[in-house]
Amino acid sequence: MNATPRIVFTGIGAVCAAGLDVESIWSAIQARRSAIAAIRQWDASDWPVEVAAEVSGVDNRTLVEDRKLHKTISRTDLFGLYAAGAAIRQSGVLTLRQTLDDVAAAQFNDRSAAFVGSGGGAYESNYEFFPLMTAAGGDLRRFGRELCDTVNPMWLLKHLPNNVLCHVGIRHGFKGTNACITNHCVGGAMAVAEAANRWAEADRAVAVGHDAPIEPETVLHFHRLGLLAHDSVRPFDESRSGTVLGEGAGAVLLETESDARKRGAVVLGEFLGSGCVTESTGVLDVRSDGDGLSRAIELAMTDAELSPRSVGMIVAHGNGTRASDASEAIALRRVFGADLPPITAFKWSFGHLIAASGVVDLSLALTCLRQQVVPGVPALRKVDPDLAPLPVSANAQKPRGDRALVLCRGFGGMNVALLVRADPDSMPVE
Amino acid sequence: MTPRRRIAITGIGMVTPVGNDTPTTWRNLTAGHSGIAEITGFDVGGFPARIGAEVKDFRDSPTIHPRLLKFASRAHRFALAAAEEALTDAGIRPGPDTAHDWGCSVGAGMMVVTFNELEAVHDFCASDGGFRPEGLLNGNFPADPIAFCRSQTNAGLALLTRHFRISGYASAVHTACASGGQALGTALKVMRRGHARFMLAGGYDSMLNPIGLSGFCLLGALSTDNDTPERASRPFDATRNGFVLGEGAGFLVLEDWKDATDRGARIYAEFAGDGNSLSSYRITDSHPSGDGPIQAMRQSLANAGLAPDEVDYVNAHGTSTLMNDRSECAALRAVMGAHTDRAAVSSTKSCMGHLIAAAGAVEAAACALAIHHGIAPVNANFAKADPDCAVNLVLERSKPMHIRAAISNSLGFGGSNSCLAFRHPAEAHTP
Repeated sequence: MNATPRIVFTGIGAVCAAGLDVESIWSAIQARRSAIAAIRQWDASDWPVEVAAEVSGVDNRTLVEDRKLHKTISRTDLFGLYAAGAAIRQSGVLTLRQTLDDVAAAQFNDRSAAFVGSGGGAYESNYEFFPLMTAAGGDLRRFGRELCDTVNPMWLLKHLPNNVLCHVGIRHGFKGTNACITNHCVGGAMAVAEAANRWAEADRAVAVGHDAPIEPETVLHFHRLGLLAHDSVRPFDESRSGTVLGEGAGAVLLETESDARKRGAVVLGEFLGSGCVTESTGVLDVRSDGDGLSRAIELAMTDAELSPRSVGMIVAHGNGTRASDASEAIALRRVFGADLPPITAFKWSFGHLIAASGVVDLSLALTCLRQQVVPGVPALRKVDPDLAPLPVSANAQKPRGDRALVLCRGFGGMNVALLVRADPDSMPVE
Repeated sequence: MTPRRRIAITGIGMVTPVGNDTPTTWRNLTAGHSGIAEITGFDVGGFPARIGAEVKDFRDSPTIHPRLLKFASRAHRFALAAAEEALTDAGIRPGPDTAHDWGCSVGAGMMVVTFNELEAVHDFCASDGGFRPEGLLNGNFPADPIAFCRSQTNAGLALLTRHFRISGYASAVHTACASGGQALGTALKVMRRGHARFMLAGGYDSMLNPIGLSGFCLLGALSTDNDTPERASRPFDATRNGFVLGEGAGFLVLEDWKDATDRGARIYAEFAGDGNSLSSYRITDSHPSGDGPIQAMRQSLANAGLAPDEVDYVNAHGTSTLMNDRSECAALRAVMGAHTDRAAVSSTKSCMGHLIAAAGAVEAAACALAIHHGIAPVNANFAKADPDCAVNLVLERSKPMHIRAAISNSLGFGGSNSCLAFRHPAEAHTP
């Protein structure tokens, strides 16, 4: 069997409430600035939860320049296309394509893969039928008769969960192996793992996670289930009371290290391994013993042929809910024992990005490794004594090595662990 | 290069418009019986297309706890029943010692809210047509947490893994009409990577509700032959005029070849290859040259170690729309050359309509059964040849034949194309 090649990241794109690229998001985190604020998409002043982390003050044309496209895709797709475009652009792979003749360029396209973790609005897409429902007054026959005069003929296409995959292909000419993963919060993280594992079928891949979950119905349901905090996300804190919804997208461009070096690309980090398991607990429940998460981490370690000792830092899922954080701490202790590396989590800054969270966290993990900083969690007041000792802090820490573990959890008892490291060239070989 | 792991199909489960289990579905598909009729689930009198391929007289498996069923949508219930049948058929299922070795990969439909639920939001928040969120805060608004759970994109996956106690790899994918094919392809890849030893893989969908039907009516994609429902889906016929919306689920049990032979399992077929591509052309249109599907088919054959002339049966995507069928035939010709005139081709959508996210999974099951029984199912309703669809269709009746290898195409809105390859278990495995 061909030895597995080294897979590296050469492009990164991100958008969330904290900024329109990784650098500005990183600056906000370094400045200990949270982007969580009052909801602006509707008047939520009377709502039981009034805050979220919205991407606001950004013109849609900044996200996707082609105005015609705005009518045929939805908000979550704008984020995904923006991040994907940024990652592809930064990588410079399209510059390589320009140097190729037609046959080689066609082969380039056929060997360019795309993987998308798609969230998408479950509820608001159907609201476009409300005027028709009002006109029909409960009469389905009338509904059927007036349908084509009332509703946008492109309605279905506007709300396809695989729109980002489709339009990344059309806009950038990517035509290779692909997937659109609709596995709630872990979709983006799984897109990265799938991209890294299909090196035999593709020469390069863009992996995207995108979501726009801040909808009235979603906020209401999350609140009633006790999943939302009123002010901030306080991961592993004694007083943590839930998460805060955010929105945005993250994207990475992956290719083999040899391809990247050959074309003189800047290598931003290396993919080392992944693990993915379900706790088979249904949609909402989380096992209290951390079993699923610890198995995902162990699988990632095995995949990467690494031991816990070689992990330099952890970007925890840390969503701030009582159950998830408690079981995450237990899982981490089960794998690492008392020898835990520094831990951070980012949802205090830009909320829970649902399907986008894994990719944005991964992008930031690479920055942490390059800068050799594990950012503090300003929202943290006191680590929950039931979870202590846990090396998570309100203040910045230093990673103990060049590898990061990124954790992502979601509905369906899903757990994904990713292992990455900073540019292998700039780090000493063990 | 060491050989790819060989993967066996040892269990099949189906809930389709032509049968609520695999034997009934297969009997009706091979007999050319149509499952298409006027839609009965709601009043379709005003819609331009009033026909569909509904699952009929469906009963939930008695093994599934009523409390769990509350969390299941109509499509999820089909999935639970088909998965139960597949596991029973395989004679193996996850247990306390093997739960971690089992994975689950599903192609899930895009409709997650029922029309009744939407009507409630309309009544409280949009009675004059415009949406006012504060209506949700009305104390009488039925904010049902169970409905919220059902509406999550991976709710079906969560139900399946919980009910069958699968606690390894798990994923849900959605690439419109290619979803089922991509879910199975993902399962094959995951097993070959060694990330799962057994997989329950398939797809489920039901868009036969006012909103789902509307979506396709708005696009003008459906056949409006409302007076002749049984003949409405006629893939590759010169007079075809759109597809017929169906619903259902299909599941396969996949296991390592050695595990399957060691336990003396019946192997329907080898799941030999997966290919998938993006057309990157237009969101609904397929390229007239077959570009996109061509790459998926080539990738799949290469992945399976098959030469094009070893493919004896093609289960076409064959939606019965003008453009899809033409483009798919061009792709078949490009990939198989002169062998296109010899390989038997049929679209089982001629009998059971288009199951959207479930289509690829149900049609993969049809391929495995075609290989197992040595029968290429008929392409029903064909009367007039289209010169742009010059392929060797299985006409009049199903054709008994030894099938060395079969492929199944699924081509989705958004340009995702999936091609799966299957090999007869007695054929030599050439990795």
